[in-house]
Amino acid sequence: MLAIIRPDSWNLPLFLHVLGAIIVFGSTATVAILGFASQGRAEHAALLSRAALRTFLFGIVPGFILMRAGAQWIADKEFPDGAKTPGWVDVGFLVSEPGIVLLIILGVLTWMWKRRGAGGRAARFVPLLASLYVIALGIAIFAMSGKPGS
Amino acid sequence: MTTYQWLLFLHVTGAFLLLGGGVIAGALNLMALGRERPSEILLLFGLIRIAVVSILIGTLLAFVFGLWLVHEAGYGYGEGWIVAAIILLVLANALGGIGGRRDDRTARLARELAASGDAPSAELRGRVRDPISLALSYGSGLVLVALLAIMIWKPGA
Repeated sequence: MLAIIRPDSWNLPLFLHVLGAIIVFGSTATVAILGFASQGRAEHAALLSRAALRTFLFGIVPGFILMRAGAQWIADKEFPDGAKTPGWVDVGFLVSEPGIVLLIILGVLTWMWKRRGAGGRAARFVPLLASLYVIALGIAIFAMSGKPGS
Repeated sequence: MTTYQWLLFLHVTGAFLLLGGGVIAGALNLMALGRERPSEILLLFGLIRIAVVSILIGTLLAFVFGLWLVHEAGYGYGEGWIVAAIILLVLANALGGIGGRRDDRTARLARELAASGDAPSAELRGRVRDPISLALSYGSGLVLVALLAIMIWKPGA
């Protein structure tokens, strides 16, 4: 089988999209790791919650913007003038668009965790929510790389 | 899904685990740079081990399924961009591996200091901020970004 060759003009938006997705994937996993690590480590809760909030602000937020802007840029090139997008593209948008609500909740909970410390509910929910988003990203990676049904 | 689609999915999953692991290690390392207490540095360096597992699994998946993809997609193993990608993958792992061994020594010192009073130490601070270790680890990350660019642009293909 001969590989599908993309037009050169699609490469930069694809690179930015994938780089952004990798940053979001790694940063969200970092928040999950910090959250799980804080369970039973009350003496380090302040450090871990601060680290999680910084990772959210300086990793997840810029990574998400890069991923979403790159996605729109390449979608406009690949499916111009409102052409119908295939299912694997729709899965990607499904993870990024409703996913932003999940990320906003994650950001608020991470901020609450930092303010209230280890004992609050936020400390328990942050790693669970971050893990849920990592799984959603995994589904998007499957859809966008394997392109099932295409 | 065709064989090509499955191989591409597994190869891309490997790339995400490899580069995502690099992001995790980089984020935790950045946090450690600003810490003074040995127990805090030990905790953050310990969490980097999770990133190392992700990097190792990702490297294996990306490499094995990448080579299989070359065959399946009809590329040649001697094509410049494929040879360059393999060299960059080996270089990134070598740089990261050497940097990681230096970080292991730093973690051992942090463990000793944490067990004997947990007082800040100039030696530990110096090792955490050692420019050679940082250059090796972050250099490895930059090589991986260059590798990603080669995989997408496929120069000469």
